Amino acid sequence: METIKSYLEAMFANMPNTPEVRKAKAELLQMMEDKYNELIEEGLSENTAVGTVISEFGNLDELAEDLGLSKEVEEVHGKEADLPRRHINLEEAKAYLGANARKALCRSLGIMLTILSVAFPILSDPYDNGRIGAILMFLVVALGVGLIIYSGFLTSDWNFIKEELCQIDMNTASYLKEQRRSFESVRALCVTIGIILCIVCWIPNLIFTSADRLGAALMFLIVGIGVFLIVYANKISHGFDVLLQVNDAATMSGGYRNEGGSPVKYVNKTAETIMTLYWPTVTCIYLILSFLTFRWELTWIIWPVAGVAHRAVAINCCDDIEE
Amino acid sequence: MVEISSDVIRGYNDTMILSILMKEPSYGYEISKQIKLISSEKYVIKETTLYSAFTRMEKNGYIESFVADPDPEGNGKKRTYYRITDSGRNYYRDKCAEWELTKEVVERFIQKEENTLPQANEE
Repeated sequence: METIKSYLEAMFANMPNTPEVRKAKAELLQMMEDKYNELIEEGLSENTAVGTVISEFGNLDELAEDLGLSKEVEEVHGKEADLPRRHINLEEAKAYLGANARKALCRSLGIMLTILSVAFPILSDPYDNGRIGAILMFLVVALGVGLIIYSGFLTSDWNFIKEELCQIDMNTASYLKEQRRSFESVRALCVTIGIILCIVCWIPNLIFTSADRLGAALMFLIVGIGVFLIVYANKISHGFDVLLQVNDAATMSGGYRNEGGSPVKYVNKTAETIMTLYWPTVTCIYLILSFLTFRWELTWIIWPVAGVAHRAVAINCCDDIEE
Repeated sequence: MVEISSDVIRGYNDTMILSILMKEPSYGYEISKQIKLISSEKYVIKETTLYSAFTRMEKNGYIESFVADPDPEGNGKKRTYYRITDSGRNYYRDKCAEWELTKEVVERFIQKEENTLPQANEE
């Protein structure tokens, strides 16, 4: 039965994603399933049953005509001819995920080291006018920045995913969704711990007296680990999304990324632009307020507030734009 | 082996489907099974052909679709059933009359051809 489903998915992959087409696909699958089950009951082998069902399926061009989709199908065929999509198979997808995981590790380690580097001058200050501390700081910053730059090259073999039109089939999409689902709990844990660490980073400063520099150093360590967890988890999860989004959103294959093949949400371009500016703006406000007031123990409240506000803004912007 | 040309039969897929629906409402696979059975497996309708016919005839008002469970106890999976409408019945009668005419006309030419063959005299 899986073979039949894959066959049908492949046949429909480049059809426009409209309610009529989705209904046609569901109905055809039902008919094929009925026929398959009956053939199996009659005692046919699975291979023979699949072969019979597929050979008696027919062709979609005829169907497109009766669904009044000839024009759309023609357009899709035209697009295919003008800009052929590069097919990414399962092996390539796995290789990309591997490269992306290494990139995520390098990048998040690099960012963590860059944050941690500040701790060295703080710690070593009293002993030798901070010279060793400063040297260590620059070494660690260099290492961190090096890692960040290096991480960019780790996926350079895969730049075509962003530059060219690509396509993945149903099997690859299912594999990716399965992986993303199983990673989702890890990601939630990482991000939660990461955010908690960023919030509690001030605690060492309260425990140790201000004369003791350990508190400040520990703060950077905690923030570093927190940021590492958040960046790492999000980078890994981003890898799945990159692959799941390569298909043409207007066709049936564009629905692979969602459960049940429902159509993708159409988001207004201006709303999207506004939303991309949202977090950088919040970060600016946070930094400006914090440095002006030096009340770091209070200003972090901006983050949870911004998080809640983000949801509200996003819903307002995108609500009525959906088709 | 002689096979039915899909070009020729195309115009009569609707007639076959409607004749099955004249008896009782039915769903996709059941209809294709009936067609295979009644034609003694000489004609197997393709799934896409069948579904095209459904959408086209529904659009023309010859049939109506509804969702129901084939299992009388309601434990089965739901299917899209089709039932024939009054205008579908009229259309079916027209198609039958049309076929009688077509058959009569085409037959004359076929018999003419057969008469030239020596075996044709045996009957």
